Amino acid sequence: MFKSDHFKRFQSFIALAVMIIALSLLSDKFLTLANGRNILLQIAVNLCLSIGMTLVILTGGIDLSVGAILGFAGAFAAGLLKNGLTLKCFGVVLQFTPFGAMVAGLLAGLGLGLINGVTITRFRLPPFVATLGMLSIARGFTMLWTGGFPITDLGPQFGFIGAGFWLGVPMAVWLSALLVALFVIISRRTILGRYIYAVGGSEKAAAFSGLNVNLIKLWVYALGGGLAAIAGLIVSARLDAADPKAGLGYELDSIAAVVIGGTSLSGGRGSILGTVLGCLIIGVLNNGLFLLDVSPFWQQVVKGIVILIAVAADKMGAPRE
Amino acid sequence: MRALRWISFMIVLAGLGWRFPLFHVVPLQQAVAEKKAATFDPTHFAGTFWTNRLLASLDKAVSATVLLPAIQSDPATAKKQFARSVGMGESYFYFVAGTGRVVSVSDDEIRLAVTATGTNADISLPAGPVFGNSLRDGTGLLNVSDYPNSQDFNDISAALNHLVETAVLPPLRTQAKVGVHIAFAGCAEVADESSDLKPLHVVPVMTRLTSNQ
Repeated sequence: MFKSDHFKRFQSFIALAVMIIALSLLSDKFLTLANGRNILLQIAVNLCLSIGMTLVILTGGIDLSVGAILGFAGAFAAGLLKNGLTLKCFGVVLQFTPFGAMVAGLLAGLGLGLINGVTITRFRLPPFVATLGMLSIARGFTMLWTGGFPITDLGPQFGFIGAGFWLGVPMAVWLSALLVALFVIISRRTILGRYIYAVGGSEKAAAFSGLNVNLIKLWVYALGGGLAAIAGLIVSARLDAADPKAGLGYELDSIAAVVIGGTSLSGGRGSILGTVLGCLIIGVLNNGLFLLDVSPFWQQVVKGIVILIAVAADKMGAPRE
Repeated sequence: MRALRWISFMIVLAGLGWRFPLFHVVPLQQAVAEKKAATFDPTHFAGTFWTNRLLASLDKAVSATVLLPAIQSDPATAKKQFARSVGMGESYFYFVAGTGRVVSVSDDEIRLAVTATGTNADISLPAGPVFGNSLRDGTGLLNVSDYPNSQDFNDISAALNHLVETAVLPPLRTQAKVGVHIAFAGCAEVADESSDLKPLHVVPVMTRLTSNQ
């Protein structure tokens, strides 16, 4: 039992270590500083999404709208930066600074996440349905806001968070590392963190204990939206353009990272650090398969198998109900 | 105590807003004027570029009587000596000028023989719509790195091609009859040496009727 618990706790880490050793032997380009930096840069966006997804899944929910919120927040910020906000009734235009556009994008993401929370708690919609609806709404708003065309040429100040470097490390990596540290503290050391686990463990028990379950869920979905918005800002900044189709299918990678990282889909069990490992496993897998010149079609198959194995391992180790 | 906390929070927020403003309020008319001034106008740019720089640089074009024999004898050496390429692309460009005798006219192209005794076409001039980036990239006068927005750079090509279609080709189509001599200057893109060198497909900047026979 002791051995089994230990293995379960470290299974993601062991899987990552095995992959790194195998890929180092198979490709001489894998274990290089440049490739390591490349992997970290590639997982930065998924990491932002997956932190929020972990919180949502810990409460026993799911958020299918994060990819769409990512796209909307990036496009919203880029549109405000390029075109400003015209207030015809006052005869003025609000010309946003890069910082202002980022704040607006972040608020847009928080707002959409909050709406998710309201529809789930107030109207009692299942999270799957509520966030599926938001996925479509956010995608539609993104198309309306951009007219279906990318918004380009956002400038170096805006681009710094996606394409800039500090101490030789991409800013996107610094930002995602900061968010990981922040949310590890929130999940382990704050009341909100403990409440999230409590709600996921048993919603009824949490409610009987006097917790405001709805408020906790509102917080969680709003944070999920906010983190998706940060991911959207990174994507737009990195490309120097906001693509209306940005983030398409990203929610699946995010859910995969959370599940591979050991977070239980039924809620109550999991951790942010596990999700970091999940993101690293997906990032290393993508990078390794690319370096080994494996067809993109096979890459998808392999990724799917890894997710199935992770969920099966989780189910086998979970206590019987 | 609670009120004091809120007031402190609002003061900090106001200070941050003053130090790092989120936006500037600009009168609508001023904003529209600024945007119009900042928007790249490819048609205006192409017109000015055509008049002031492209036509003024025609003397820099390599003579067709020098280029065509060089291509015939050794395309690789001719490429090294006379061509220019852009970025990492495989295709390259010649900026060429000369005089040729019209050997055939169709709806799509006008073919010229440049060599005095030749009957085969050495040069093909378009008679219909013009595509590609020959004029933009062929002279070396424009550099992609000067245009942060690649869409602007692409729009220049379209505007230059439109100028060729509207200013150069209509008189050429009228004048081009088999047997007449036509002077030309323009750019040719070579993407596939097996098909683009014989005849050389030149997008003309200038054409002029030099003799009726």
